[in-house]
Parts: sequence; structure tokens; C-alpha cells
Amino acid sequence: MTLLETDGLTKRFGELTAVDDVDLQIEEGESLSIIGPNGAGKSTTVNLITGLLNPTEGAVRYRDENITGQEPHEIVQQGLSKSFQTASIFPDLTVRRNAIVASLGAEHGSFSLNFLRRLGSYNAVADRARRTLEDMGLYDRRDVKAKSLPYGDKRRLEMALALAGDPDLLFLDEPTAGMSPDETDDTVELIERIKEERGVTIVLIEHDMEIIFRVSDRIAVLNRGSKIADGTPDQIRGDPDVQQAYLGGVEI
Amino acid sequence: MSIAGTVIGFLIQTLAVSSIYVLVAIGLSITLGTLKFVNFAHAAMYLVGVYIGLAIALELQFTGDLASALGLGSVGLDAGFLAALAVVPVVAFGLGLLMERFVARPFYDRPDTDQILVTFGLLLIAQELIRAFVGGRSISFSQPEWAGGSVGLGPLGTYSSWRLSIIAITSVLVLSVYLYVEYTDVGLAVRAGTEDTEMLNLLGVRATRPFLVIFGIGSGLAGAAGVVGGPVFSVTPEVGVGVLVPAFLVVVVGGVGSIVGSVVGGLLIGAVEVGLQLSAPTWSSVGIYALAAVVLLVRPAGLMGTVEVDG
Amino acid sequence: MSEPTETATPTENADATGLLDRWDALRERESFSVAAAVAFVVVFPFVFTNLPAYSGYMSLVELIYIWAIFAIGFDLLLGYTGLLSFGHAVFWGGSAYAAGIFSANAYGEPLVMILVATVTAVVLALVIGVLALRRGGIYFAILTLAFGQMFYFLALGPLAPITRGENGFTDVSVEPLLGVLDLGTGFAGVFGAVFHDVGYVLYAGFFVLAVATAVRIVRSPYGAILKAIAENESRVGFLGLNVRRYKLAAFVLSGAFAGVAGGLHTIHANYVAVGSLYWITSGDIVIITVLGGIGSVFGPVAGTAAFLYVENIVSGEIAFWLLVLGALFVTVVWLFPAGIWGIVDELRSAVRGRLTGGDT
Repeated sequence: MTLLETDGLTKRFGELTAVDDVDLQIEEGESLSIIGPNGAGKSTTVNLITGLLNPTEGAVRYRDENITGQEPHEIVQQGLSKSFQTASIFPDLTVRRNAIVASLGAEHGSFSLNFLRRLGSYNAVADRARRTLEDMGLYDRRDVKAKSLPYGDKRRLEMALALAGDPDLLFLDEPTAGMSPDETDDTVELIERIKEERGVTIVLIEHDMEIIFRVSDRIAVLNRGSKIADGTPDQIRGDPDVQQAYLGGVEI
Repeated sequence: MSIAGTVIGFLIQTLAVSSIYVLVAIGLSITLGTLKFVNFAHAAMYLVGVYIGLAIALELQFTGDLASALGLGSVGLDAGFLAALAVVPVVAFGLGLLMERFVARPFYDRPDTDQILVTFGLLLIAQELIRAFVGGRSISFSQPEWAGGSVGLGPLGTYSSWRLSIIAITSVLVLSVYLYVEYTDVGLAVRAGTEDTEMLNLLGVRATRPFLVIFGIGSGLAGAAGVVGGPVFSVTPEVGVGVLVPAFLVVVVGGVGSIVGSVVGGLLIGAVEVGLQLSAPTWSSVGIYALAAVVLLVRPAGLMGTVEVDG
Repeated sequence: MSEPTETATPTENADATGLLDRWDALRERESFSVAAAVAFVVVFPFVFTNLPAYSGYMSLVELIYIWAIFAIGFDLLLGYTGLLSFGHAVFWGGSAYAAGIFSANAYGEPLVMILVATVTAVVLALVIGVLALRRGGIYFAILTLAFGQMFYFLALGPLAPITRGENGFTDVSVEPLLGVLDLGTGFAGVFGAVFHDVGYVLYAGFFVLAVATAVRIVRSPYGAILKAIAENESRVGFLGLNVRRYKLAAFVLSGAFAGVAGGLHTIHANYVAVGSLYWITSGDIVIITVLGGIGSVFGPVAGTAAFLYVENIVSGEIAFWLLVLGALFVTVVWLFPAGIWGIVDELRSAVRGRLTGGDT
């Protein structure tokens, strides 16, 4: 089924049209990559979908329900999640605390008046946090402050936070930016694992063509705010518009 | 008095009060806009203006406890108001340079709350230092003789020439600063509203110099405000804060980072305060704060702001 | 103190005595903090009123408890959630006035007064919070300052018929506690030596309650969520948590603490000064909390004791005490963000380092 679709999504900042009438369909279980030159509107599109920005025009539907204009926390509660480009974690909290905060969001909804209940009494939360960390191989360092982790582990923690709520749809914003080839391989394996083991639908923003072609079921290409192509990797490879957009093309 | 007379009287009163707020607000605004630095200690520059201005123009008695303990009596140059007006802004400018170098710079990368806290603490120290040396009583800072009395504006009535002087002095100062900002390299940094040192380096301007100058100019203006405002507002250690809060409101209303905005905001705040003082005095202070709250909620960048700071 | 510590406790060297391990485990327990607070209110008066020089007095001890409640609540907002409010006097003064006016016109039983005070503060905090929290950082600080001043001038001017304006509200009429126990009633014998009088039990009791509540809040999900918001607000939203509501909750909670404190203050002073709404009072609570050490429950207590002691006792000797305090404050902000309590903590770590055999 179509998990997420955007309908004529448009965002204007005064005179500048950052996203222009973008239609996307994302099927459950597939992985879609959104690519395009810098400034094409990829991040803005994702921000529009995840509620960080409000669209000027157009709609976003999740499981056939209109989620346009909702706030990020509401959208996340419905099953979406996003992993940030930088390792966006809580540096002064322990690794375990990081996971606990994410688990609280997953178990207790967006707000609770439970300021007089002991955190330790919530077994479900503790379990979820533990599982999340074990899954990412971070459980043995749970008492370490997040800021003292090496960068690669910070990224893994960041990913763990995004996955703690068992999302159905995960946005990954340039997950391999600034990574070494080894780290990149690890990340790709991770993405594949998430996809297969958890059945998470993945939307990926990336520049690294190798990864894109390895991981994606479908690719959507944006340029100057509009979608110029949408199809399987093979279709995209041969698309003249795409090649032109990249000005001389990339070694595909 | 005729209606025209009342209106003009109101205008002059407003302009006079606004002038002082504007002079203080400009420094606050450009520091916040360009350097992204919140400076509660700006009020200390006003205090410097008031007290040192008094020492230069007339005489400053040391009645504070610390002063007595140290055996200090008084200091006074009796050199007149204009001398004070000439010297104090320079002194304040220098202090501003020192503050940028030693206080602001270590704190640029620290969170906003730290900046507020440390500059608030410095203001407190300045205030208490003054109290310890000069004492806490209200002192009189009399208007200069040449500005006493009134000026006749023909059929429009007669008005306090002191107030007119304030307006004149402020206009000159504000205009000068505005021109400086509009037409110089340093001013470019202010107008760009940026702390991008790389860009400034590319422009051939040494990155730290604009910051220093900006701080200095703002402080100098606040010092001038103190000299001019001394005879108008009271002369107590607490007057710094008394002026700082409305100045912040001016920045908020007029817009962060904009000189024109500070002028507009100052006029608006001054008008509200004076207007309420004349019509419903008990509501005058409440009115200003209500206005600021409304503007902050509706347009946090202010009426003419170019920069939204961490909204 | 021993809230679930975020500092990674270094694994003790293998020779550490089992005693220290047991002590650690004990400290981690919530009941320890509460017991410590109880021990404090028993021991502190003796120490404070019997110093070799410049002793305190009982009324000041009670005042310290009252202000400490205010400070503990303020720290929930500043130290945990990272929000700096420069207008908290509005809750302190507003609730003080509410309690006073209520006692004069309706009923002056202390617990009822405190209830009225707290409800007033909560309502004010909801209104101001919803508005002020729309903006972050600097604007939040200035907005709270603006609201605070607005209420101050309201009380001074237009509402003077109710508040008595500049002269303060003098018609406070406090009844006996629970209708029967006059606040001045002393206790006999050992009971009296520890509990002094009914009034003391009231103030000390609420102090312990405040500490217990704060510790519980910090150990609840709120403790983790508020800290996360302070460190990385946008990420918290993307974890499905409603950041704005949690900030409002923190604001209202801190207002509630101020409300309780304000009500207690009216009972204690039998008077409400208009200065209780002034920005200087807001500044005082900022100084107290920062000086004591933000981000802990006992830091604000230390800061309150230090500040009030200097303000009331030392000020007699050194007229420029506020200057010294200001310098201390700047030093703490600049170099020792953990405040007095942080320094105590460092000393404690140093001592235990020695006890466990020291480092090589």
C-alpha cells in the first residue's frame, strides 16, 4: 500500500520557490532515494513532510490521512521518524539516558503529566531502551556520556534514537556524510538490515551514487525544487534529464 | 494653551525622552544584531556617562562607605557641560573596547543565558561600585546655565530650551552614527548583520576591528545618553537599570540590528510613556511593557528588525 | 546531590571498601535525599544560631527555608530545562499578595492561604507561560522581564486600591494553623529543642516537602526529558515529544514552587511588600540559584543560605556586600558553573579519592 504520498507540495519563501509542486508516492516496505544537485530542495521537501515547515500549497498524506501542517511530534507519533545529518544526540546525557528519552516518546505519547512517577518504575521504557541499544551494539557503553563516544558511535546512537519508536517510515538525511569508506559500508549494511529485519520503509537523501544504487528500490530526482524524474535505478540511469541536471553527469 | 501648543508640547516632551532611550538602544541593538551578544552591562555605560559626566561638568562628591574608608572626598573639574559631552563618549568608547575584548569575546560561543547572566552580574558590580564610592542617595545634576530657561517659538508657545538641546544633540549624534554605518567598511559589518569573520576577512577588514568599533560606538552613545540624561532622569546607581529596561523594549519594538528601527522604536515608546503620563499616569509604565509584550509576541524581529535572534 | 547522576561514576578501584559501595548505593536512593533534608532542618538551626561570630537567628532560618523553596523551583526551570526567566518575581509577589488579600477578606488559615497562593501562581504561570514560551532564548528572558514589570507597575498604580500600592499590604491576618495551633506556640522539652514552635514546623515541613517533590520530579520522566530539551530541543520533538508542552509544564511547576514560597512568606512576614514584584527580586533569585549551583536540588539551598546570610548578617559589617556578591556571581558564571554545590561536590570527590587509596 502507499504509505506516504505528497500532492503538489510547494514551498515559497517570498520570491524564492524552494519546492515546486512535488508529487511523491512511497510504497510500504520499499526504499526511496531523493537525489539532486545542491539546492534542489531535497531537505526542504523532507522538512515539509516531517512538519518542520508548513507548505505554501499542497498536501501530505500518511496512510491516507492528511498530516499536512502537523507538528513534528504529532507526525512522529504516527509512525514516521527522521535521522539527522549530524549526530544529533544529547551530549551530556549517558548513552542509556539518550535511549530512555527516545523510548519515553515511544511509550508515553507526546505528553504526560507523570512528573511524580518514578522513571525506574516504567519497565516497558527500560526494556525498549535496552533493546534499542543492544540492536546497535551500544549497550555495553550505556553509562558513558554520549559526548565522549567516537563519531561513528555517535552516528549509531543517533540512528538508534530514530529507531527506538519502531517507526514504519524512516527518513535518513545524508547518513554517510563525512564518513570513511569502512564506516560507509557499515552504514549501508545497517540500512539494509533495518529494511529487511524490521520492515521499515526508508526515504534516503544522499549524494553518494554508489550507495543510492545499492540500496534504493526507487529514485526520485529533484532539481531547482521540481521533480524531474522518478523511477527504478535503471530508469534513472538512462534518463537524459537527470544527466543534464547534473551538468555532464556523474559516473553512474 | 492652544491645541497646537499642547500637541507641540507633547511632541517635544516625547522627543526629549525618546532621545535618551534611542541613544542607549542603538548600542544595544547593533551589538545584539551584529555580534549576537546580549549586553545587560550596556547600562553601565549609561551610569558612566551620568557620574563621570557630573564629575567633569561640575563636581562629584564621594559619600559612599568605601570612599569614606579610603578617605576620598570628591572630584570635580567644573569644566561645564559641553566638556563633559565631549569627553565622556570617548571614555565610554574606550570602556566599550575593553568590554568587547575581555568580556564579550570569551562569551560569543557560550549560550545566550550565560551572556545574560555575566553581563547582568557586571552591571550589578558597576552599580554597587558606584554605590560604594559615591553613595546611594539621589544627586542633582543641574542643567547647564546656557540651556536654562525657555525658548520662544513665536505663536507656537515657549518650551524648555534644555529639552530642545537634548533633541538637537541626539539628532546630531544619531545622524553621524547612521552615516558612518551606511558609508564605511565597518558599517558594512553592521548592515550585513553577520558575524561571519571569513567574509569580513575577504573584504579586507580585519575581523576583530569591526566588532571592537561596534561595541565602542554603542558604548559611546550610551555614555552620551548619560550626560544628556543626567539632568532629566535621577542620578542614582539604579538609574542604569531604570534606563536599560525601556531601552531593551525599544530594541524589541524597533527591531534588532536596525538603527532606524531604534529611532522608530524609541519614538514609539517615548510617545506611549509620555502620552500615558499626561492622560492616565498610573498606567504609563504598564503601557510600555504591555506594548513590548505585544510586539514580541506578534513580531519578534521587531517592527523593522532584520535579524531574528534565536526565535 | 544524588539525583540519578549523569556523571559516569568511575568504577572504583578494586580495593574500595564495601562500605563506600554501600554508601553510594544508599545515596542514590530517593529516601536519602528526603532524610538529608529532615536532618538538615533539625541540625541547621543549631549550627546557624550558634556560630563563633556573626550568628544567625531563628527568623532568618525560616526565611532561608522559604526562599529555598522558591530557588529549588526556579532551578527546575533554569538548571534542568535551560530556560532563564527574569520575571519570576511575578509568581512570588503575586501569590504573596493573593494569600495576604485572601487572609484579610476571607480566611487566614495558613494552609488555605498557601493553597490560594499556589493556585494563583499556577494560573499566572499558565497565562504568562503560554505567551512567553512562544519565543526562545533572549526573547524569553526579556518577555518574562516585561511581564514581571508590568505586574509590578499594575500593583503600584492601577491596582493600588487593592494592594495598597507603595506602602505594601499590611492587613494580613493569619489564623492559627488548622484552626487551633497558633503559630507561635512553642513546644516543651526535647520536642521543643528540635521543633521549636508550630511556625517552624510549618516552614521546615514545607521545605522538606519541596525537596522531596523536586527530587521526585527530577527522577521522573520529566527529569530526563527536560534535560534533553535543554541540550537538543529540536531532536526531542522528533522523538515524538511535545516540547512546548513540557516547557510549559516546567514553567508552571517552577511557578507553583514560587507560589508556595510566596504564601509562606506572607505568613512569615505578616506583610506583603510591593518590591516582591520588582525586577530586583527576580534578579535575586537568579543570583541565588546560580551561585548555589544550577542543575541540582541542594545547590539552590546552599545559594539561598549564603545569600540571605550575607544580606542580613554580613551586611551590617560590610556595606558593600552586594558588590562582593556580584563579583562572586560573575566568577561563578564565568568559571564555576556548578556553583557552591559544585565546589562541595569536587571536594567530596577529592576526599573519597583519598579514602579509596588515591590515584597512581
